[in-house]
Amino acid sequence: MSRVKAPKTPGEPVTWKKLKKNRFVYLMLLPIAAYFIVFSYYPLGLGLVNSVQDVKILGNATFCGLDNYISVLKNPQYSQAFLNALIVGVGTFALQFVWGLAIALLLNEVRSKVLKSVVQSVTYIPYLLSWSVVGGLWMMLFAPTGMVNGFLQAISSGEFTPIVFMSEPKFARAIMIFTGAWKGAGYYAVLFLAAIVGIDPSIYESASIDGASRLRQIFQITVPNIVPTMKVVTVLGAMGVLRNFDQIFIMGTSSILDKVRNLLYLIYTQGITQFKVGPATAGATLVLIGTLIISAVVRKVIRYDDTYED
Amino acid sequence: MRKKNPLENRMNLPQRAVCWLLLGFFFLIMFIPMWNVIVVSTSTVLDSSASGIKLWWNSFSTEGYEYVFRVTKLARPFLNSLYVSTVATVIQVVLSAFAGYVLIQKELPFKKGITSFIMLTMMIPGDLTLISVYQMNKQLHLLNTYTGLIVNGLISGFSILLMRNYFTSVPYSLAESARLDGASELRIFGQIYLPISKPGLATVFFLEFVGKWNSIMLPATLITDQDKFTMPLMLRAMILNDASQSGAAQTPNNAIMATIVISTVPLLIIYVFAQRFLLSGMTLGASKE
Repeated sequence: MSRVKAPKTPGEPVTWKKLKKNRFVYLMLLPIAAYFIVFSYYPLGLGLVNSVQDVKILGNATFCGLDNYISVLKNPQYSQAFLNALIVGVGTFALQFVWGLAIALLLNEVRSKVLKSVVQSVTYIPYLLSWSVVGGLWMMLFAPTGMVNGFLQAISSGEFTPIVFMSEPKFARAIMIFTGAWKGAGYYAVLFLAAIVGIDPSIYESASIDGASRLRQIFQITVPNIVPTMKVVTVLGAMGVLRNFDQIFIMGTSSILDKVRNLLYLIYTQGITQFKVGPATAGATLVLIGTLIISAVVRKVIRYDDTYED
Repeated sequence: MRKKNPLENRMNLPQRAVCWLLLGFFFLIMFIPMWNVIVVSTSTVLDSSASGIKLWWNSFSTEGYEYVFRVTKLARPFLNSLYVSTVATVIQVVLSAFAGYVLIQKELPFKKGITSFIMLTMMIPGDLTLISVYQMNKQLHLLNTYTGLIVNGLISGFSILLMRNYFTSVPYSLAESARLDGASELRIFGQIYLPISKPGLATVFFLEFVGKWNSIMLPATLITDQDKFTMPLMLRAMILNDASQSGAAQTPNNAIMATIVISTVPLLIIYVFAQRFLLSGMTLGASKE
């Protein structure tokens, strides 16, 4: 968001003439304001109200204070979902970060434009796709007759029994982390590459004159110079850690769900399938608070807000 | 070797070999799964359900595609997705342009209040108000309707900011002098701002279209009627092999892969034709200012 403040114009009264002059602008604002009131502010208010109410399918809701919040905090399902979300979320982020950075650094060494754009496109395309596509694709690959088992069979000697990856709880989180990073690595690579392209070439020139090898330049010029982008990526990633729904909704088969069911998925099933509106909205509010806390902590740890101070 | 050009300073041969090897590995790990989908989708049922590494055709066949259109009736969810995404995206582009234009007005009474009113909505994550969104849609009778799919998430703070940024690059004096010449606000907006900001409009259009086409949570919340299923919901029903929802016995592998390909085609077309808009928008989304 822009940090530039508009210059204040004190003492200018809001006159009828001014309002009238801007009537077209207000007319433009009308549908937007109406939309936001109905589809953003109203649900937010409704959620806050519901989170302190005992909502019943029949009959009136009654005020119950913080009971919903307490029941959520005490509910082991929620703490398990929090743990699952955290493990898969942080794992995915870390792998995707390293993976994307590696692609970006390697691509930067490629000089053929055609090759560069082919590799970039292929690595980026999964990011464009829906989780139903990426999840479906990997579930097929991990199926007993899928290609992963095909590879394992090809390299194994002797008797081979296919592994049913998608129903094996011990692989569940690893699969979510891997597929999550697979989908997003190309996107991070694009972000890192954009930052690399922006580095002042004269830095490399003087390093070359000083006789620094290319490898040394990569680690002592390229990497340090894209730290600001790494920080932005980290903060954005931190905000998404607890908010992964699509992947688990598609790939969470019943036999592995206990290992990967995350907060949003739990809230969805509780609130929409089981009509436990009160606890579900309280849970959603807690996720929002958790997200704010996590991103505040991450900002502090990586000294995000210092980066751009003049 | 000229040392002036930094690109001339290359790695030595073993380093370059390692670089190519790693890059090749990353390329293959992305490419092979996608290639596998294409091959299996155009294989026979028998081949597609056999085990092994399927990277080339035993026998080419379009029966997977025939199956999804004949048995799964995929045309319906495909057209649902296309209809809902297109209409919603067009409206969204128009409204984002409106909102962006409102936000750049310099002498607008109550502008501060309006700006925070719009910006605050960016702080309300749609996925966390999910349950209330469901209830509100129920109250408005929007469950299981196309209208529900279209109007929810119709404006995003991100696309508004994007349009605002494009509009601020238009010199304000241009609008001022047009105003002095007696041009109406509608003309200033339509004939000065919109034409200059075409790349911005395109960026919003393509980014939002991709987002809506891929949307899973919203349709999963609003839609239970299979006639109104969008592509992601249909694909999920097929994968999870939920007989109660897909109404059919197990879908053959080649048909599932065919559905994956069909879901992807519109996005690939967009990627090919609008790559620069997508990339610029997505890089912008992660920049700090």
